[in-house]
Amino acid sequence: MRKLLVILLTVLFATMMFSETIKVLAWDDAHSQSWNTLKSDFEKATGIKVDLELIPSGSMLQKTALNVTENRANYDLVAIDEGNVAKFGDLLLPYSQWPEGKVYPKVSTNDIPAAIFAAAEWGGRLVGIPNNGNMYIWMTREDLIDNEEYQAEFFEQFGYELQVPQTLDQLMNMCVFFEPKGIYGFAPFTATSEGATCEAVMFFESFGTSVLEMVDGKYQVSLDREKALQAIMFYKELMDYSPQGALSMGHAERIGAFSDGLVFSMFQWPGIVPSHENVDESMVAGQIVYSAPPAGPFARTAVRGCWIFGIPKASENQAAAAEFAYWVNNYDVGLKLAEEGMTPVRTDLLNELSGEKPWYTGMAEAGQFAVSRPNRSVHYPELSEVIKNNWLGAVTERMTPEEAVDNMIQELNELLESYE
Amino acid sequence: MSNSTNVKRLPLRKKRGPFLYFILPAAIIVGIVLVFPIIYGFVLSFFNWPQVDDGTRGFINVKNYIELFKDNEFWHSLFLQLGFIVIAIPIELIIGFFVAILFNHDFPLSGFLRTLLLLPVFILPILSGLTWKLMLQPRYGAITYLLSLFGMEFPQGILSDQSLAYTAVIIQDIWRMWPFMFMILYAGITSLPKDVMEAAEIDGAGFFKKTFFITLPMLRGTITTAILLRTIDALRIFSEVFVMTGGGPGNGTMLFSLYIHKQAFEFGKLGYASAMAVILIVISLFFAFGLVRKNMDIDTM
Repeated sequence: MRKLLVILLTVLFATMMFSETIKVLAWDDAHSQSWNTLKSDFEKATGIKVDLELIPSGSMLQKTALNVTENRANYDLVAIDEGNVAKFGDLLLPYSQWPEGKVYPKVSTNDIPAAIFAAAEWGGRLVGIPNNGNMYIWMTREDLIDNEEYQAEFFEQFGYELQVPQTLDQLMNMCVFFEPKGIYGFAPFTATSEGATCEAVMFFESFGTSVLEMVDGKYQVSLDREKALQAIMFYKELMDYSPQGALSMGHAERIGAFSDGLVFSMFQWPGIVPSHENVDESMVAGQIVYSAPPAGPFARTAVRGCWIFGIPKASENQAAAAEFAYWVNNYDVGLKLAEEGMTPVRTDLLNELSGEKPWYTGMAEAGQFAVSRPNRSVHYPELSEVIKNNWLGAVTERMTPEEAVDNMIQELNELLESYE
Repeated sequence: MSNSTNVKRLPLRKKRGPFLYFILPAAIIVGIVLVFPIIYGFVLSFFNWPQVDDGTRGFINVKNYIELFKDNEFWHSLFLQLGFIVIAIPIELIIGFFVAILFNHDFPLSGFLRTLLLLPVFILPILSGLTWKLMLQPRYGAITYLLSLFGMEFPQGILSDQSLAYTAVIIQDIWRMWPFMFMILYAGITSLPKDVMEAAEIDGAGFFKKTFFITLPMLRGTITTAILLRTIDALRIFSEVFVMTGGGPGNGTMLFSLYIHKQAFEFGKLGYASAMAVILIVISLFFAFGLVRKNMDIDTM
């Protein structure tokens, strides 16, 4: 009888302690596992119990689609890939309606750059908060730009200092400079995957044109033919200074080429950078400097692909869910979460921790120039397919740049018309 | 006598009853894992069914099929798929057949070698695809290196050229699956009656006459079974191509199954992909019935 009483009291106490329970759905990796490791701190501080479900990222879309609808939400907080914001945007509570935190303050665009916050934009308003800062960062071989012989020779040849390329023209000069030395200036991304669309978007935007623009809530093709051709021609020229296999380089090939010390400068996603800094996997670990990508004739751009936290409108625990999202993005909490494997998104945290992880500097810089792919459409995968196929067709010389640009414009128009 | 009388008197329902109890568990499982998805997929093919419910889900009659037949990519992927079958399977059959004839004769280590030859069949398709992808890398691929020794240089990579990538996918499949043909044909050859061969030898038939006028005709049922099994398998080839080329470069290796996957899980068009899957089933049935009816007794299966 006494045992029963103790059990009942324990249950009662636990219920009082955790007056609220929230269900959170996120993808499973070191980043999100850090939340799981330290969530007890959050529970103690707020009295909110967190049921955190981590699943493979490839299953997130299906799981979210099944569990978040207009009238039903089996999760109070869901992580959504930026590319899927269009699919769920209408089902999420606008960030302006997220309540203020009781323990952790609401996160603002002073904490996270507006260009990153825009990952949560849907229909002209924010519907969530970024929880990772995934965008292109630029890697350059520090040992090569610090080499005194190279510095002198480069200055003599081009009339300015050998440095991290600040513009695409400088990058081209450096490609030319390093070619006779057996070092490839650049490694493209030419595998048949989303990465090719990212390259297209970066170079088009850098040369001053966008593939698609949102007008009155609908995408319209806005690709400037001449600027697009310039971008493609420039990229093709860069590929002349690329390692063998430049026509089919995916992540594995690029990682291998850079880590083997063959490449001078290229972009990389932050999640992959640790392998370049791992001495067991990379010959250039500790010899890389990170920055924002070099500027094109029009702009400096870093393609973005963040995950956001969204609160379903149908959630009954919106305040508690918001509190958890604020906790994840809190400065003091972030210092601890970073130790457990989280890559922060706040600029102050990135700068604070850049001593230990130098690529955070590149993330903080690139965050200022982040641009989105045209993924605010439920039909984005098909739009991306058109961009990717034609971009790759041009840069791998399966078609002329003119054909590629004309095809891209025509096929995008046809696709958009078919969905009207 | 009395027993048999009793059996005759049992109503048909009671006679079948015990058999049904035995069949029922298997029938339920087959129904759940095979019949239901086929029916569900068939029904879905008449709907607009985006992966995420955006309010546009609904019955659209045969619109998916009409769109499908107007889709150039669909015809292209079907062409690639059928080309794959028409090229790969005969080559696998020829290699498998002649190696089976070779191993029908005893020679030192033949048992050991026979076992070794079967190894590629047991390699997971996805691992085979990844391995071939690595071997074809321009910078460090073993095959690329070997080809370069013979003066065949591919500085930009074999998998970055549409024709070469398609050829590589087919060669990968031949490497992995010819031992399957060998296995079936070897079993068939060893079960052929010896006296017929001996009679032919007495009559002075040489290797080619014995092979083409005795062995091949007598193996017709076995060969058809092997082709049928390989064709059905080849129609659903996916993972090795997916990891090797992802359907690229461009759409150079976008086989039918990869295109279905793209429509369903990249574009989220489940109704459209279901219509394609229905077409795939029809093609599979066409192959199966065509081969079975023309060339073999169903009992040989």
